[in-house]
Amino acid sequence: MLYDTPATGLIGIALLLLLLLGGGRIGAVLGLVGLAGLALVLGPEAALIKGGVVVVDTLTRYELGTLPLFLFMAHIFFSIDASRDLFDAAAKMLGHRRGGLAYASIAGCAGFGTINGSSLATTATVGLVAFPEMQKRGYDDRLATGTIAAGGTLGQMIPPSGALIVFGIIAETSIGKLFTAAIIPGITQALFYAAVIFILVRLNPALAPAGERAPWADRLKALGRIWEIVALVLLVIGGISMGWISPAEAAAVGAAGALLIASLRRKLTRAALFHAFHETLRTSGLIYLIIIGALIFSAFVSVTGLADAAGALVTGMGLGTFWTLVLTALLLLLLGSVLDGLALMLLMTPILLPIVEATGMSAIWFGIFITRAMEIGFVHPPLGMNLYIMQGVAKNVSIERIFRGVMPFLASDFAHLLLLILFPAMAMWLPEVLGN
Amino acid sequence: MNRLTRTAIWIGGAALLAATAIDTLAVIGRHIGLPITGSIELMQAAVLLSGALALVISSLDDAHARVKLVVDRLSPRMRGIVDRVSDGASLLFVAALLAGSGWIAFDLRGGHEQSELLGVPWWLLRAIANACLLAIVLILGWRIVRRRA
Repeated sequence: MLYDTPATGLIGIALLLLLLLGGGRIGAVLGLVGLAGLALVLGPEAALIKGGVVVVDTLTRYELGTLPLFLFMAHIFFSIDASRDLFDAAAKMLGHRRGGLAYASIAGCAGFGTINGSSLATTATVGLVAFPEMQKRGYDDRLATGTIAAGGTLGQMIPPSGALIVFGIIAETSIGKLFTAAIIPGITQALFYAAVIFILVRLNPALAPAGERAPWADRLKALGRIWEIVALVLLVIGGISMGWISPAEAAAVGAAGALLIASLRRKLTRAALFHAFHETLRTSGLIYLIIIGALIFSAFVSVTGLADAAGALVTGMGLGTFWTLVLTALLLLLLGSVLDGLALMLLMTPILLPIVEATGMSAIWFGIFITRAMEIGFVHPPLGMNLYIMQGVAKNVSIERIFRGVMPFLASDFAHLLLLILFPAMAMWLPEVLGN
Repeated sequence: MNRLTRTAIWIGGAALLAATAIDTLAVIGRHIGLPITGSIELMQAAVLLSGALALVISSLDDAHARVKLVVDRLSPRMRGIVDRVSDGASLLFVAALLAGSGWIAFDLRGGHEQSELLGVPWWLLRAIANACLLAIVLILGWRIVRRRA
């Protein structure tokens, strides 16, 4: 064939970037460029058939059932104000310490991250609860907004994570292993943020005054409001990690548990259910279109041989594992400043995964690595979606102040990403130990 | 919100509930020694129905993700043009998917394609997917015409 060369793949990627920046819908543009490329390389008939196969295969894919069901679980939890309960419990336990509400925000984001897989949703919901409270207690607005914007990214890493589900589908990798591999990076990321708060408050105590100590009766009451949520989350994540249930089954059990908790709290109204259905279907439709487009685009990249050529080029440079991964991280961060996180993942996975695998790293590790790079894109300009979400919550704080507030957390993100490169066991140890 | 959209949301929601129930019962059944035969096949049908309707609903709500870094800096007139081009590209893509999927369904029309354990008819699943793709083509077409007007 005349066009099955890496150059065709490169032209396709350039065209894709142009169309994405030109405001095309991510899924449609990925798919359209992929179909056009396949038509050029394999012929129009083969391209159309490939599109038809991908669409029905994707919609009937059992593992993809994980995504709408986890979204459904999250939306049911939204309806019972779980984010408020989680933050409230953390604030009652930690609020009396200097910077306690900032720690509580990180804990709230991590907790909320276990019931939903989105950075934006975590930032918005925890922000609505935590920011007014921190403002009332006299916290510096840069610290308050920076903490929540950075903490929101935990939603993407801590399982169940929407990004990891999508990666698992695209890279044809076990979603269960990805979830298990994300546990330690998620926890260490939260600890890094806590360390940043500790240092900032230590250097300038006026940033976050200590509050009153909540009596134990109040603390126990607050904990009593979240115990069912914590138990369900432990069952879902623990069940996947221990190999008792598959991710799709865990999502179903999670959704069933959320419905049960909402009905026990008498909040499962017809209106709440309809709202949860609507939001779940809207978000999953958005993601399905992107996955369908990405699978077609990935097939196109594959037939051009671009990934192999890029792999051979990088191997030929003899950079070694560390510098290859650092270069990959820099490329992801650079592209992440102009591309939406999901688009970045779907565009770069077919090209970068073979390169990363050639260095001896696994697809599971790469899934955690690219998700971490995506998270950084959520808090660094010019895109930095979490910063704008935070500004929507804290309307009286300028975007410049929010950005200044997030800078120390961004520095810790870079350090954490570097650690992930230096110590791949951070991601790989737990799945190996649990043998899943 | 019109009645058709509400109906689509309720049907998609019912499919989500069905998927939730099927896999939850499958897990319970497996652990108490009463496995549900063909639960994965039932899940596939429920997931297809909810997913296909999800595509329709996100198109109706114009919720598909876009990178707006450049678009937001354009004049309203230019933005209008870019929006129409974006709708056109989406329509072209979904129409191509429909053509491919319709072609396969037509080729397999006499093949009695069905799932292994429960005999779930695949022609029906393909018909649902194609009907939803057609609905999206119509929604996008209508949006382009409306924007021009």
